[in-house]
Amino acid sequence: MTTSLWRRHVLPFTLLAGLLAAATLAGDYLLHRLALVWVGRYLGIPGTLLIIGSLIYSLRKRKYIAAGSPKSLLALHEFAAWLGSLMVLIHAGIHFNAILPWLATVAMGVNVISGMVGKLLLDRSRLHVQGQRERFQLRGLSKSEVEQAVFWDAVTFDAMTQWRKVHIPIFIVFAALALGHIISILLFWGWA
Amino acid sequence: MKRIVKMVLAANLLAIALLAFVYPQQMVGPGKLVAGHQKLEADCFACHAPFIGASSARCVTCHKPADVGRLTTAGQPIAKPLTAVPFHQKLISQDCVACHSDHAGVKRFRQQGRFDHALLQEEAAGQCQECHKSPADSLHQQISGNCGQCHNRQKWVPATFEHNRYFALDRNHDTRCVTCHVRNDYKRYSCYGCHEHSPASIRREHIEEGISRFDNCVECHRGADKHDIRGGRGEGTGRRENERSRKKHDD
Repeated sequence: MTTSLWRRHVLPFTLLAGLLAAATLAGDYLLHRLALVWVGRYLGIPGTLLIIGSLIYSLRKRKYIAAGSPKSLLALHEFAAWLGSLMVLIHAGIHFNAILPWLATVAMGVNVISGMVGKLLLDRSRLHVQGQRERFQLRGLSKSEVEQAVFWDAVTFDAMTQWRKVHIPIFIVFAALALGHIISILLFWGWA
Repeated sequence: MKRIVKMVLAANLLAIALLAFVYPQQMVGPGKLVAGHQKLEADCFACHAPFIGASSARCVTCHKPADVGRLTTAGQPIAKPLTAVPFHQKLISQDCVACHSDHAGVKRFRQQGRFDHALLQEEAAGQCQECHKSPADSLHQQISGNCGQCHNRQKWVPATFEHNRYFALDRNHDTRCVTCHVRNDYKRYSCYGCHEHSPASIRREHIEEGISRFDNCVECHRGADKHDIRGGRGEGTGRRENERSRKKHDD
């Protein structure tokens, strides 16, 4: 992998994921410090609603709905899913109890990482490999020499493409586990 | 998505769903149950009504309100009761979950050891000493009852009463409460409880100064210094007003 690909693509991805982790820890710390732990208990609700809202992009992409600019909806999808995940992570960190909600949290975490790969690495690395290939061709390198020059970039790109394929199955697992958690809350919560 | 992936996902989710039914406490329960209820771990609906939550009606099937704090659910006397006196019989309503949470994860969100005294019947709410021991300090040892005059039920500490606002307990007035508050009645006071002041001497001193109203001492005197005249009709608190008052008093 070239230094450029690492610096321009992998590093921003790592920073975005690191920001999510740092924001989660900071949120958890602040809620405990300010004696507002009870707020964390309810953050799962807006977090879930934001994640559900972010799926408008998926509906638009698969042409279930026709309204809305795909580009804007993608930006909304990325932002709402990131913020919703942050809220759910803080919600999860506040109390460490049953297995089912933790499985849902882990599935969500993997889903978020998968989404970030899609956002930061896939598109940019595709452009980067394409640019590299054109540059080498302009220098007069033969096709085999070009392929050799961009080999590690291409390998990285292929690996990322494969990784993205797990985004949908992981989302389904996350949705099913989260649904189980939500149903159990609705079933046992003291509404009366 | 490949068919095999779909099948593996479905099988895993089905296994998790089954585990939730077989081991509900571990899979969906919000933390360990209290020791007395651990036998109910696998039977969530012993306490929870579906889509309603833990219900007091289900609690009282085992915990008879008349026996709470007195007898166990098996009808045996409680060996080490948590409170000196049973008080559940004196509550205004039977709302068990207003105070009790049996799962460790739920307890974390409640202030433990806090009891909302508004849940007590009015008569019981005024009898603090029935449940609470009087503090061992010298002030409280002189007092019996009437806690509500200095404390309130929303926030017991600190006490809401600040004695110095009414009369500074300085110099010769650093004495037992009952010297001024006869029979621990803190709604009233008397300055004639010590040998220094007597109705005759006070009357004589004030008549000599041309002061005819001297029945409510703290209206003018807020401490041991008899020349520090603060209250009265003018309520003057500044140094000059104090001096003027003192002069008038001395004249």
